[in-house]
Amino acid sequence: MSHTRRDFLKAALGASTLLSFASAAPNFLTRSVMAASSRRKERDTVLVVVQLTGGNDGLNTVVPYDDDEYGRNRSTLRLPTKDLHKIGSAMGFHPRMGAFARLYKDGFLSIVQGVGNPNPDRSHEGAMRIWHTADPVRLNRQTGWLGRAADSVWNPNTTNAPAVFVGPIAQPFALNAENVVVPSIRSLGDLTAGQIPGYPNDQSQSKHTSELPRSDKGNSLLDFLQHCTLNTYTNSRRIEEVAKTTANTAEYPSFQLAATFRTVAQLIRADVGIRIFFVEFGGGGIGGFDNHANQLGNHCALLHQLSESVAAFVHDLRRDKLLDRVLLMTFSEFGRTLKENGRRGTGHGSAAPVFLAGGRLKGGLIGPRPSLTDLDNGAPKFHTDFRRVYATVLDRWLGFESRIVLDKQFQPLDVLNV
Amino acid sequence: MVLQIDKPPAHDQSKQIHPAVTEKLTDPAWAWAAYQPDAQRPWTLAQAGHLYQRAAFGANWDQLQQALSDGPQRTLDKLLRPQADIAAFNRTYDEYDTGSADSLRAWWLRRMILTPHPLLEKMTLFWHSHFATNSANVKNARLMQQQVQFLRSHALNSYRAMLKGISRDPAMLIWLGAEANRKARPNENFARPLMETFTLGPGNFTEKDVQEAARSFTGWFVLRSQLRYIPREHDGNLKQILGQKGNFTGDDVIRIVLEQRATAQTLVHKLYRWLICETEGPDAELIAPLAKSFAKDYDILKLAEKMLRSNLFFSPVAYHRRIKSPVEFALGIVKPLEGVISTTQLAQDLADLGQNLYYPPTVKGWTGGRHWINSATMVRRHNLALALLKGSGPYGDKLNPWTVAKKHGCSTPESTPRFLIDLFLQGDIEPDVRDALPKIAKASAGADGGDLAEPVRRFAHAIVTLPEFQLA
Repeated sequence: MSHTRRDFLKAALGASTLLSFASAAPNFLTRSVMAASSRRKERDTVLVVVQLTGGNDGLNTVVPYDDDEYGRNRSTLRLPTKDLHKIGSAMGFHPRMGAFARLYKDGFLSIVQGVGNPNPDRSHEGAMRIWHTADPVRLNRQTGWLGRAADSVWNPNTTNAPAVFVGPIAQPFALNAENVVVPSIRSLGDLTAGQIPGYPNDQSQSKHTSELPRSDKGNSLLDFLQHCTLNTYTNSRRIEEVAKTTANTAEYPSFQLAATFRTVAQLIRADVGIRIFFVEFGGGGIGGFDNHANQLGNHCALLHQLSESVAAFVHDLRRDKLLDRVLLMTFSEFGRTLKENGRRGTGHGSAAPVFLAGGRLKGGLIGPRPSLTDLDNGAPKFHTDFRRVYATVLDRWLGFESRIVLDKQFQPLDVLNV
Repeated sequence: MVLQIDKPPAHDQSKQIHPAVTEKLTDPAWAWAAYQPDAQRPWTLAQAGHLYQRAAFGANWDQLQQALSDGPQRTLDKLLRPQADIAAFNRTYDEYDTGSADSLRAWWLRRMILTPHPLLEKMTLFWHSHFATNSANVKNARLMQQQVQFLRSHALNSYRAMLKGISRDPAMLIWLGAEANRKARPNENFARPLMETFTLGPGNFTEKDVQEAARSFTGWFVLRSQLRYIPREHDGNLKQILGQKGNFTGDDVIRIVLEQRATAQTLVHKLYRWLICETEGPDAELIAPLAKSFAKDYDILKLAEKMLRSNLFFSPVAYHRRIKSPVEFALGIVKPLEGVISTTQLAQDLADLGQNLYYPPTVKGWTGGRHWINSATMVRRHNLALALLKGSGPYGDKLNPWTVAKKHGCSTPESTPRFLIDLFLQGDIEPDVRDALPKIAKASAGADGGDLAEPVRRFAHAIVTLPEFQLA
């Protein structure tokens, strides 16, 4: 029983309504109210996972500018040191990532360096599959790590969707669950109840019928469905309210990614119990980050959009004092080769940095900077298993059990103030 | 002027558990005996609707009325062995050159709506979830089409033949990553789900059994979408599986797993949850006679028939003890309203509700039950019902509840609501809930009594978004 549930009961029924039910109150209401008073507050933290599709060039995102190897291997792609946003340890953000640099300085952004896996695959499909299943060994594994996470917290009285994918492409495999239905949405309209034109009161009417007590015929399914129907219309109304009141107040740049983040922020604000959001950037398929030729301009635009969009999201949440509840993490299927390929592009690599953004970060650079001389097939080697990042967000942030999701316990990183 | 439902339908008493009956329900002999209505357990509209919900995809008004006059067993005769030319119907549909998995989805939904043998489609859907194969990995619509056609042709025949066919089904082997099974490197990707999901169930076999079964299946390949057997890749040496020793082949493994009691039990249990009740049970004792009989011949029709004709099926143990899957929810709106809608659109909307035909999430199929339901899928059920009923948009004006009501002699603001409650819920609704449904107003005081189409649409939408309507 979260605050959300308590709020919804209050909002949907009102304290007096509940009292007036008295003896006639359906079982689930009595149970809910009792549970609300007895159980301690459940965690309401939110994880936002951002997939950078195509294999992001970590070396041109957070640039090791004083490393001679960087300059030597990147004759055309080398970013001028004077244009970088320097963050100490002789590292600097890409020139168009000023917003990330500011988040970093304010402590709202951390960089986990050298993240990868012990059985790297340099094909997009294979590498992405590994990040999605969190299983570098069983390559035909049929569930994704977030799908298993959603299944792991399901119980028979769950009525909120634990996770959603927000975006126009097919749902990424990370969310594939054995049991739970994880919805894909494009806009808030997919989570609000429509009305037959000309009948403005349709919704309140529907809520009305679902609120009425049913005599208990010993059918727990009906109880459950009634509870869920009530919750559904309450959530729908919350989302509508949020959409109405915040539509124009928060400032987001006019990128598709920013619009997606705005939708996520609105759903967080509506407080409808979604714990995991998944967002994709790069366009699905092979993805925009896959720059084998003429990388500079394209990569620049993508990083700028990412940086500005995430910053707008962070500021929006911060203004509403919601940032402390939110942790964002990025990932890409692999980094890229150190040496450029003669076509002003880079090849598929292995390790890459993961960005964390949120209000409860310890901040800074996490883990050593990967060496540019000790390489794995021409690309920086990983030192932090990606499943340690997953374990961090599952155990320390969401309060799930990562052991169930990842099959064994990986050591979480000490990056959060929780 | 606002008018209400003419008179409250008496709340159906047939669902109340009679104490004497409750005791009998745990007695297998009584539970599985054919249901014969009597004063205590009358044959009602609710019972007829229940039967059509489980053995078909819902009923229209004529079917419900016919069932009421035929009685349960005669209605079941028709559902189990319809007189229509099923073969001709299936041939027509099988011949469509479909091209993509997306169009396969649409054709199958259309078939579910129009088939003269809905139980066959219901069971094909059951086997599609049992032998769950995801088209995203197979990437070959032709193979997917062949697989589901195969499942349909065996859906009410022999499980033995179905299992043997599935062990050589290219789509299944590709999906499981079992398209190459070499002597030097036995591939367990088919052998494991064979034992864990398709037959014995967890806990009824060992790792060693899986390894030995995988060796028995060596030599089978899928090359360029064709099944191939390469004799020199078959390991002909001695194996030991589930206590038996021999130079087994894949067919021997099928025979051996079907000889195990656990297999019949697991399948009867699964079909029980599909046809009768998913909330609890069944006790091993209750299903023991069915499992024993099923183990002899693996005759699926006989098993389904036993379940559907039983006292248990028509008892409170079964009534409303399932949650409608997305397909059942949507067709439960379409069938009663006697229209044929765009199933291309419907297939996509059902995918958004969590049931993407030809794309089950894992080899274990759709778990279903309460998992179908959360506030996101419920709001989408609401919106799908709205799209189906509103008379415009992607589904057009194919479903018009007022037209259907008029066709069956209910055209007034008083009789129409009563009719729709009987049509969709067989009158089984509590008086308070019924009274809270939207009122049906006369749109105008014209000579014809006014056009009720719009208010009736709204009324129908309010019915199918009730928690009660989500129950099967």
